[in-house]
Amino acid sequence: MQIQLENLVPVPLKDKILQRSSDVWNRQISFTPSKFIKIKAPSGTGKTTLVHYLYHVRTDYTGQVLVNGKAWTAYSKAAIADMRQTQVSVVFQDLRIFEQLTALENIELKRVMGGQPYCTAEKVTEMASRLNITHVLNQSGKTLSYGERQRVAILRALVQPFQWLLMDEPFSHLDDENAHRAAQLITEECKARHAGFILTDLDDDTRFAYDIHYNL
Amino acid sequence: MMPSFYQLLRKIIQTGIGRSRLIMAAGGLGIAMILLLIAIQAHSDFDQLLHSQQNANESADFLVINKNITNAMMGRRTQSVFSAEEVADIRKQPFVNAFGFITSNQYKVTAAAPGDLHFYTDMFFESVPDSFIDVKHEAWNWTPADNIIPIILPNDFLNLYNFGFALSQDLPQISQETVKAIPIKITISKGLMTQEFTGRIVGFSDRISSFLVPGSFMEWANGKFGSGEAAAPSRVIIKTKDPSDPALVQYLEDKGYTTNQDKIKYSKTKMIVQTIVSVIGFFGLILLLFALLVFSMFIQLVIASCKKEIQLLVTLGAAPGQLQRYLMRQFVPLYMLIGIISLLLVAGIQWWASHQLAAHEMTVSPLIATGTAVAAVAVILLVYLVNRVTVRKYINAIS
Repeated sequence: MQIQLENLVPVPLKDKILQRSSDVWNRQISFTPSKFIKIKAPSGTGKTTLVHYLYHVRTDYTGQVLVNGKAWTAYSKAAIADMRQTQVSVVFQDLRIFEQLTALENIELKRVMGGQPYCTAEKVTEMASRLNITHVLNQSGKTLSYGERQRVAILRALVQPFQWLLMDEPFSHLDDENAHRAAQLITEECKARHAGFILTDLDDDTRFAYDIHYNL
Repeated sequence: MMPSFYQLLRKIIQTGIGRSRLIMAAGGLGIAMILLLIAIQAHSDFDQLLHSQQNANESADFLVINKNITNAMMGRRTQSVFSAEEVADIRKQPFVNAFGFITSNQYKVTAAAPGDLHFYTDMFFESVPDSFIDVKHEAWNWTPADNIIPIILPNDFLNLYNFGFALSQDLPQISQETVKAIPIKITISKGLMTQEFTGRIVGFSDRISSFLVPGSFMEWANGKFGSGEAAAPSRVIIKTKDPSDPALVQYLEDKGYTTNQDKIKYSKTKMIVQTIVSVIGFFGLILLLFALLVFSMFIQLVIASCKKEIQLLVTLGAAPGQLQRYLMRQFVPLYMLIGIISLLLVAGIQWWASHQLAAHEMTVSPLIATGTAVAAVAVILLVYLVNRVTVRKYINAIS
């Protein structure tokens, strides 16, 4: 799955962005598949907005996001759903966990959504134990702490097949130990799929062996 | 055991929110369905009753139509015949499947019994197209070379003789076979021209109250002994599917025509039953519309109340089609259940009614009509389609 940006500029941030230089906004960029990409972005530069554009949950931009050479906006709803089930996965900054489901059900929802599950239930249990969330799996989403929710969201993103994993400050609520474990798991899962990721964060970090760095 | 996708959806999309609306919609749908099915079933039952009583074997009926003879018309023959325009008008009526003239003789006819039976009478002949005759007989044809004329008598005529005349006059009663065996001396004449034939009775008709001869004989005789001009017909015969059709009865009344009243006596009953059935059906339809409306409102409410959840599901990759199918799966078993219950109820009523009617010697089928079952399926399909469109519309609006 090829992702390209063509002169992408968010309408709400237009004036601000055109005053300063950016590696991403208003440029021609092609994200090389199966590379680990870090986008460093200070607050207010449109980090979350970019992830939303890449995942096609917002479209208030000028320019284009091309997926396999075709603009996101040209895909049908069914085609977009299919790509979200099989080609692109996401960890939102605001996590977006269903509070009426347990942690495990939140993960299951994504695992069985496409009909034929990509990972087995045992694999989910194993990954949960690596993220130290085995003890909260049967707890309602409502009662989870932010750190637990973040790990559930990461695990939810890893139970499906993908070629790109989009992550928006995925470790913001985690301590170093748990962030390290999560990064290790993410690396393994990406390698296993020959997939790449695009990670946005506020600061520099060395949790992953990034191939490419951008400044937003 | 891990829950399936639909089981997880059930926890996320709560359909319990509009339970009272759902119950109202389901109840309305059930009552609407029962009313509609009863209307259709009653219509079919009444048709069965009519047709089984009137003509068990025939799918059509024949009516002989003539103008009403009123006091004002007496003595003015032109007023009792059908004009060409009137004939054309009758022919084009939708209830007329076939049309034929009844042709009268334009000459004098006398009949005499052979031997010493001392029977002699003036009489008349009429002819109708062969397709209108209910007596099938191989001798029913005539060519100018034949001396024997086949004749069909009305059944009533023999009955009148046997049970009215013969009994009171102390004469022998005659069987149909005997009548058929008697050769009758027929003399037809016009002025000084006369010709003798032998008449043979070949059958007895319930359909046409007249002395019928083959059309070929009538044509020949009218040509030779008649005025030479085709006389305007005063009686015509029509074939119709349903003699109790209110449109037919109304037409005859409007034009001042009459026919065998016995055959059209069910017309009024039929009209009343049709009205009642239509009113029931109409209310059923109205109720169905309201039920559909409430269903749509219920669906709208469910989707609106789960708007955030549905949007998140779509964000996570659930296809709108998946969500539509899930929602439809919540409703379809309900319609099926309502449809089956309604159909069973109507089938029960039909079974009971057929037993009640049987006690009065009226037979209707104890099973429901095909049309009723088809209607039940059609209503379920309609509800399904309307709901599908509604679900699709509102899911697409928010996803």
